[in-house]
Amino acid sequence: MRLVIDEKRCKGCDLCTMVCPYRIFQPGKRPNMRGIVVPELDRPERCPNTRLQALYGRTLCGMCQMICPDQAISWQEERPGEKRKVAIEF
Amino acid sequence: MRADRLPHIFCSGCGNGTVLNCTLNAVDQMGWKKEETVFVSGIGCSSRAPGYILADSLHTTHGRALAFATGIKMAKPELHVVVLTGDGDLAAIGGNHFIHACRRNIDLSVVCMNNMIYGMTGGQVSPTTPRTALSTTTPYGSAEPAFDLCELAIAAGANYVSRWTSFHVKELTRAILAGLRIPGLSFIEALSQCPTNFGKRNKFRQAMDQVEYFKTHGILIEKVQRLREEGKDIPPDAIVLGEMIRRNRPAMGVRK
Repeated sequence: MRLVIDEKRCKGCDLCTMVCPYRIFQPGKRPNMRGIVVPELDRPERCPNTRLQALYGRTLCGMCQMICPDQAISWQEERPGEKRKVAIEF
Repeated sequence: MRADRLPHIFCSGCGNGTVLNCTLNAVDQMGWKKEETVFVSGIGCSSRAPGYILADSLHTTHGRALAFATGIKMAKPELHVVVLTGDGDLAAIGGNHFIHACRRNIDLSVVCMNNMIYGMTGGQVSPTTPRTALSTTTPYGSAEPAFDLCELAIAAGANYVSRWTSFHVKELTRAILAGLRIPGLSFIEALSQCPTNFGKRNKFRQAMDQVEYFKTHGILIEKVQRLREEGKDIPPDAIVLGEMIRRNRPAMGVRK
């Protein structure tokens, strides 16, 4: 699983930077094509959902997805053969 | 359950999207089919929400969402009716419908996205605007005390009343889920931030600031009761959160 922000939906309110317990979401620096400063992901492979969602069969923390008013945050399945990074934070 | 009409019309940082997420999550957990669920809304920012839901929806005249929902429930009691409404819709122009829907205790779930201002029309004062808050029609601060919708619903006889904010997403989802399960009128007030019209005049310029305010000033109803018993003061700007009441008055529109 991969944590992604949909840049077409995000409006740059930075609410996700406030709720994430791992501080994965960091305020963005430069505006994107639509002129919106989308938050940057700081090592998104630390998100527990990226490796445990399939194992537990449910969304674990999911605060960012719930609080995002624009439904822009989601976890996507990797394509077969795609390289993946794993990071575990203690 | 979402249609592909996103990104939606709400401003950046608007809490209505969050409340919509929570409502949809709760409806999903109930496992209701989209053919059996009707979302009713009136007029306002919050009432744009059913347009983004892949289910039957009814966008009605201003303040009359509850009246239309009553009609749906009476005509077809097997439908699940969820009313998504705002504070201007429910408390100001539809206040009378709200009181009488609570009195009749119709089997509806009412989710009120209370952003404490008329957001869509440019930031006029609404019945739930807190005292001393600035708006376009009260440039020196609102002189009137605000409406407490939860107290009103309890007094009028709703079966389930609770209040959460757009910061408390898990609790809000749980409250909506409980409200959907309970027969009779369940009223869930969800305070939401309005950075465009409320925030910019009231020192919450960023959406985060107002959410932070909800986080720091929210106080659980259990704690309020404990403070009252101990005779201690409750902070005047505290937002009382939690499940206000859960009771079992006879409900209307429930199939026996």
